[in-house]
This record gives sequence, C-alpha cells and structure tokens, in this order.
Amino acid sequence: MTRWARDLGLGLRLACSGGRDAWIRTALTAVGVGIGVMMLLAAASLPAMQQARRDRLNARDAAFIANDELTPGPNTMLAKLVDMTVLGIAVRGVLIKPDGPNPPTPPGVSTLPPAGAMVVSPALAELLSSPAGELLKPRLPYRTVGRIDAAGLTGPGEYAFYAGDSRLTDDVAAQGSAVGGARIDHFGVHPPASVLLAPILLLLTLVIVVVLLVPIAIFVGAAIRFGDERRDRRLAAIRLLGADAAMTRRIAAGEALLAAALGVAVGGLLFIAGLPFVDRVGLASLSFFPADVRPGTLYSALIALGVPAAAVAVTQLALRRVIIEPLGVVRRAVATKRRRLWWRILLPIAGAAMLLSAANSTSADGPLIAAGMILTLVGVATLLPWLVQAAVRGLGGGGRLPWQLAVRRLQAHSASSSRVVNGVAVAAAGAIVLQMLLTAATGLSTISTGVDITRTQANAGGTPTAGLDAGAVQSRFAATDGVRGAYVTTNYDGTIGDQTVTVQVADCPTLRAMAGVERCSDGDTFIVSRPRDTETLPYRPGQRLTVGAAHWTLPATTQIVVMNGDELLPGILTTPAGFPRSITAQSSVMAYLSVDPNTPDAADHVRNTAFALGLEPRFLTTTAVSASFQSIQRWLTVAAIVVLLLIGLSLLVSTVEQLSQQRKLLAALVAVGARRSTLSWSVFWQTAIPMALGIALACFAGLGVGALILTVAGQPVRFGWAGVSAILAGAAAVTLLTTALSLPVLWRLLRPEGLRAE
Amino acid sequence: MTRPTASLLFGTGLCKTYGSTRALEDVSFHIRAGEIVAVMGPSGSGKSTLLQCAAGILAPDSGRIVYDGRDVVAMSDAERSALRRRDFGFVFQFGQLVPELTCLENVALPLRLEGVARRPAEARAAQWMERLEVSDVAGKRPGEASGGQGQRVAIARGLVHHPRVVFADEPTGALDSLNGERVLQLLVRAAVDEGVAVVLVTHETRVAAYAHREIVVRDGRVRDTEQVS
Repeated sequence: MTRWARDLGLGLRLACSGGRDAWIRTALTAVGVGIGVMMLLAAASLPAMQQARRDRLNARDAAFIANDELTPGPNTMLAKLVDMTVLGIAVRGVLIKPDGPNPPTPPGVSTLPPAGAMVVSPALAELLSSPAGELLKPRLPYRTVGRIDAAGLTGPGEYAFYAGDSRLTDDVAAQGSAVGGARIDHFGVHPPASVLLAPILLLLTLVIVVVLLVPIAIFVGAAIRFGDERRDRRLAAIRLLGADAAMTRRIAAGEALLAAALGVAVGGLLFIAGLPFVDRVGLASLSFFPADVRPGTLYSALIALGVPAAAVAVTQLALRRVIIEPLGVVRRAVATKRRRLWWRILLPIAGAAMLLSAANSTSADGPLIAAGMILTLVGVATLLPWLVQAAVRGLGGGGRLPWQLAVRRLQAHSASSSRVVNGVAVAAAGAIVLQMLLTAATGLSTISTGVDITRTQANAGGTPTAGLDAGAVQSRFAATDGVRGAYVTTNYDGTIGDQTVTVQVADCPTLRAMAGVERCSDGDTFIVSRPRDTETLPYRPGQRLTVGAAHWTLPATTQIVVMNGDELLPGILTTPAGFPRSITAQSSVMAYLSVDPNTPDAADHVRNTAFALGLEPRFLTTTAVSASFQSIQRWLTVAAIVVLLLIGLSLLVSTVEQLSQQRKLLAALVAVGARRSTLSWSVFWQTAIPMALGIALACFAGLGVGALILTVAGQPVRFGWAGVSAILAGAAAVTLLTTALSLPVLWRLLRPEGLRAE
Repeated sequence: MTRPTASLLFGTGLCKTYGSTRALEDVSFHIRAGEIVAVMGPSGSGKSTLLQCAAGILAPDSGRIVYDGRDVVAMSDAERSALRRRDFGFVFQFGQLVPELTCLENVALPLRLEGVARRPAEARAAQWMERLEVSDVAGKRPGEASGGQGQRVAIARGLVHHPRVVFADEPTGALDSLNGERVLQLLVRAAVDEGVAVVLVTHETRVAAYAHREIVVRDGRVRDTEQVS
C-alpha cells in the first residue's frame, strides 16, 4: 500500500514538476477533461432543468374548466388564456378580472395589473419596444405597469403577460375550457402522477441521451491521452533508474489522476463560469434560468469520482500497447499484428440481439432497448479501428505522394486516426437512428386535422364587437393586408328535438364558395351534410327548429347538399331572405379567410383585425404535431448542436495532438524540401480516409439499429434518405472544418527548426 | 581522389543565438564542389547549427551564405525548400526515415517530392539501394531494418536525386564502430563517384580520416581549418 501511494505520489509530482513540457501536457489534458466534465455536468443538469420548467408551468397554471361551485368572492377572479402568435413567436397571455379585493396572484407577479394595464415578461417588454412589436401592439391595448419575474416564467426568453381586462364576463366562467377561461381562487395545478411518453417517444429520448453521452466519453478518453508519447519517454527514463514495469504503471496512473482531478476542477469552474450566460442562450422557444441548471449531488459525485477513475483506466489500457524499457519505449507493432474482429463484433451483435429480443417481447422493454442501443453504438467505436486497418491494408501505396504518405501512416498507426473519427462515427450512427425514429414519430405524432385548406386558410369566429354585423366583418377582413377573400356567415344555435343544430346565414356567393351550392337565390335554404352522414341526417325539410325563443319550420324546398369541403359546420344553411326575421336570438359570426402566403406578416394582420373585431382567429393546417414530440424535437436541436461542437473540438484537439507527436519527422521532411501542400494534403487524407470509413460504418449501424428499433415499436421501417444525407454531410463538414483549422498548427510545425535537438 | 577547386558553398560572418545561448559567432566557411569536409567539435559546440544554416534549414541571425552564386539567406522559404529538394541531400543521425513508408519508398521520397512518378522513382531508388547493399530491406519498414541498414537507406535517400552537396549530421553517431566504418565507406565512395560534396558533422576524430578537410568548431566559433590529406 505504501509502495502504491509512493508511486502514485511520484506520478503526481512528475505531472506538476516535470518542467514546461509536463505542465503543458497536464494543462492540455486538464482543459480537455474539463470541457468533457463541463458537458457531463450540463447533461446531468437536464433532468433538473426539465423539472424546474415543469414545476413553473404547474405553479402558474390554473384549472381553466367550468366550476359551478366557485362563486364570485373576495378571493376569486375571472381569468382567460389568450395565447397569441406574432411573427411566429408564441406569446402566452392571461386576461384577469378580480371579483373582490383579495384575488390570487400568479407566481412571478407582485401586484396584479389593474384594468387596462399589464405586466409583461422581460422578453416581451423587449419585443414590444422593438419594431417587430408594432405588429403585436394592436392586440395588447394595455399599458405596461410591471414585469413578471423568473418564478412566473418557464425561461428567461419566454414571452408572456397578465393583463387586467374589465370586459371579461361571467360567460368566461360558464363556458370554462371552451374559451380557455375560468373563475379561479388560486394558481397552481397538481399535475398527473407522471406523464407517460409514447413508447417510440421514450425510445427517441433514450437515443438522444446515448448519442449525447457517447461522444463526451470518447472526447474525455482522447483528452486523457494527450502527450502520452512524452510521458512514455519520461517513464523509460525512470525505468533506467530502477523502476519496474508495475511501478511505471502506477506512476502513470498518478500522472493521469492529477490531470483528471485538475480536469474535474477546470470542468466545474467552466460550468460555474458559464452559468451566468445560460439565460442568454435561447434555442427555438427553449431558454433556461441559470438557477435551474443544477446537476444534482448524485450526478456531480459520480462525475467527480468517475472521470478520474476512467482516466486511470484509459491510461492503463493505453499502456498495454507500450513496452517501457530502460533504454526507451517500444510500441507494440500493431500495424503488423491484425486487430481481432471477434470481440469487436461481439458488442454490436449483443446489442442487436437485445433489440431483437425486445422486438419479440410483448411489451417495449426500455432498459433492454437502451442497453441494446448503447452496445450497438459503442460497437461502432470498437469496430471502426478494425475496419480502418482492414480497409487501409487493401489500399496499397500507389497514387500521389500525399495519398501514399497518408495510407502508409494509416497502415502503421491507424489507431490514433480511428480515435479521431470515432466520435463522429458514433454520433452519426446515433443521428441516423434518431432520424429514422423521428420520421416514424412524425407519422405517429402528427394528426391529420382533416381540414381542406385549398380555399381558405384561416377563420375567425365569435361575437363581434357591438354594432358590427356580418357585412361589416366581411368588409374589415377584405380590407386587411394579405387577405385575398373573406366569406362571413352569421350563426345561430338551434335545436330539433334533442339535437342541436347550427344555422348559418350567408349570401349566395358565400354559399357557392364555401358549400359548393350550385344553384342559389336569396330565400333558398339548404341542409349541409358531410358525405358519410347523408343517410342519417337528423333533420329533414318540414321539420321544426327552435332558435332561441322562436320556432322555424324548414321549408319543403330545402335542398340537401353534400359539403365539398370541411370549413363549414354541417347543419342548416340559409340565405338572408330565407331566415325568419322573427328570430332575434343571439348570434355569432364566422369569417372564412383566404390568406395570401406571399404577403409579409399576413397572419399577424389577420390576427390584429380579428382582435379589433373581438373575434378569435384560427389558422388551419393539414396536420398537427403532438406537444411531446415538439418538445423532443426542441431537445434534439439542443443536443445536436452540443454534440457537433464537442465532436469538432475533439477532432481538432486530437489532430493537433497527432501532429505534435510527428514534430521531428515533419521537420525532417521539410529539411529535405517537402512542400507544405504535400504534407497538408497528406494530413487531410489521414483524416478523410478513416472519416469516410467511419461514416460508412455509421450508416450501416445507424440504419440497422433504426430498423430494429422501429420493429420493436411495431412501426413500418422507413429510411429518411434526405435526412440521412444531411446528417452525413454535417458530420463530413465538421471533420473538414476541423482539419482546415488544424492546418495552421501543421504549418507552424513545418519549420526546419524542429530538427534542433540540442 | 579528385581535388576540389572553386567554392560551391560558402558562408561569412554567420551568427546565430538561441535565447541567450550563442550557437554561432562570426563563423565563416567554404565548401568546394566534390569536396568532403568534416565539421568537428564537441557536443554543443554549434556544429549542427552550422550545418543547418549552411543547408538553408535555419536562417542565421546575421551573415551571408552563398550557394552557386546565389544568396541563400535572401531566398524565400519556397526557394530554399526547392534548393534543398534539388541540390542538397541529407543524412541525419537517426536516419529520420519516415517510419510508415517502406525503405524503398523512403529512398524514392526525394524524387517523388520533385514530381517523379512512383514507378521510375522507385526503380531509381532500387538501384541506389543495391549500390548501398540494402536491397534486402527494400520492402521492409525502417523499424524492421538494423541501425546500419537504416543509415545506408538514409544515405541512398540522400543521394538518389543526384544532389551537389550532401549534409550528414553525425551519420554514424548511433552505430557501433564496425557498422559506422562501413556506412562511412559507402557514403564517401558514393559521393566521390558522383562528384558530390559532403559536409560531415561529427565529433569522432576517426570520421575525419574520410574527409579532405576539417572545420573545427568550438563555442560557436571556427577555431581552425586544416587539410587532412
């Protein structure tokens, strides 16, 4: 034990007192490990970040459902959600009207705004003061009197407001969720015990986690091996002084421990130093408060202990290939010794077997699938060195000189190049799996709304501001920028027996356009039916309707038309002259709008007109994507950017490290007159060849794992080739870019001064 | 032996410092075509620096180096590289062969750098390897050859493109005496046969026996120059 401690201590001392070279190596490793640790801490913070976001959402939410038991009192108020969109940005709004002197206060708001005033989030305040805010101001006719602080927002970039609005009536409470409003006496809801993701969405999340973590592990592994050639020479010198092989291993472990421990400290500091800037980073609609980025004690402890342990393990594994003798270092001739395939292929085979076994089981087994994916993706990393060696062996030494130099170097030292592209290969394989799952999940999470948007793309309904009839609404919309056509119906709710029916009153041009009525003159009445309901219509000509307090018998001449679009509600259509004047029931209007997609901000102009008319706008889409899926897509974007950055860094650092190890040889080549371009191309090929092989392997593994997982999820296997190509192009671009960034280092090393040894 | 005549390469007033260490101080030298010159001196005396300055690898802080009437110091980096590629050959103490290339490919390297196609380059390299008696390691990598064989491969590489000057920095420093003798014999014979000047940096006095002339460097200064034979 004493000997162990002494050797480890010697390693620690060598790492910090071995002169400038030792310090540089320790510092480089510490920075590399530090970046990896920072990423790990960030990844470990994701659950807390998501939880904090969810907690805030729950704390500010309210039960917007009709609640007959809650009567107006000193501690109640009417609240109505008025979410809106401007320039594609979602804005969360809540209109409030206190019933008494002690209404509930939402989180993040110190004082409720009075009628005609609002409190806004910092992001919304900024938006309103920018030119883009002009499009939103018509819908927010309130003066700003305060801010919503962090407790009331999901993130610093959220656009939100609470506005006092005296126009809210008890109808809001009576209609409840139908209008997104309610009478409430508190904010905050108790969420369901757990929100279960659909199996395929759960798989998707698992893949994202794996794809994020594997490159980080590979990066940390590469960082720990920075400058190991110099360390080996140092260890050889110690052997000369009498250290045995076991002692040198312990000394090396001591060096690695110090560098990794410093790396953990550097990573922790980088993480803490980066926290204040977290709120400035917003992706899509995701933004985070620094206080939410907490890795948690368990994860922090795991990282703090696991990374140094991994550093020692990686060092010991790397030393297996090195024989440190008193008179120097001998690297085992891996070039002449073929890599063994059997254990490398075991990992992906085991992974595939797990996935297949999950496919055959009756229920989706999360841990089994996750283990299968991890094994297969890690299998890409273990298979790549074998593949590179086998492939470059067959390339021969022909071709131009840069190619020959690259191929020969790869034949002799393919391991280091393989390590460089392993991160890319694993990430690319994972990304392909994600792409396939996303393609499938898009199909699952996208619900067809069944809406025909060929004629109209938006509508706006409700009870218009007092004094406005359908004609006025039609004119206002027709005069709105970006509206090509506006058709307006006046709607009444009626009953036939116990059936409710909507009576829609509109002129003939509207009926022709919207219901496909061919012959129409003022005074005509129609029953509109969906094709599938024609035989089972509950109302027929001659039947008596009740509309409000009045009665109306459908004329015998009433025609039945099958609706050729989905915009109109099925029911009764009539022209103004056909609708009895005796009916004075409350009506609403519905405007159907044809919107020009080429007019800038047309949607916001429509929303502004609708707001001015007191109508609720709605834009029609053919599909709707589930909220869970959208959330996963957002997280995926974040993960993809993080992984690409990490891979780029990893590639750059590893390439520079490899070049530094060849300093003397490069100097000798320059001394004999080698051109800079010759050596630059050689470096390019040294990276490009393994990269191409890595990408090919990633394709094969990614498509295979994707197909298996889709089979597990019971989904048809579809390959999204366009997406796969984009991912591959991205991976290739990252590699090329980092190779280009490493060229200045190469050129700096291509100085004949490198020959000087004395 | 053919006696050298006019100077092919000469330097005057050369100074070079590394930080606070003066490696060369007002050094002058000259090398005639076909002449074999031994640069002698103890370790750290500045002889390798002198070689590297003379070969256009290092730029002196001051002074002038002229090769075949051209000012080497005034040349651009690309011009100096071309000069080293075409007119100079190099043999280093540890060969500095590219470990990943075969010995044959290493010998052919200067020709490939000059744009000669692979087959003719390797054909000429094979002739030189035969001449230096290392044909048997042509397909092996430098790490698989012995030290003596490696240095002979390095000599073949230094001569394969018919340079006018070969710079040899401690070419036998890593060899035992028997192998060292053999390597020197081969280097000198090949150089003389080809009419190539050789600048031989060494601290071994026995090596000087192969030179026409000695330049002795001590503490960064050339102490004396004397004829050996």
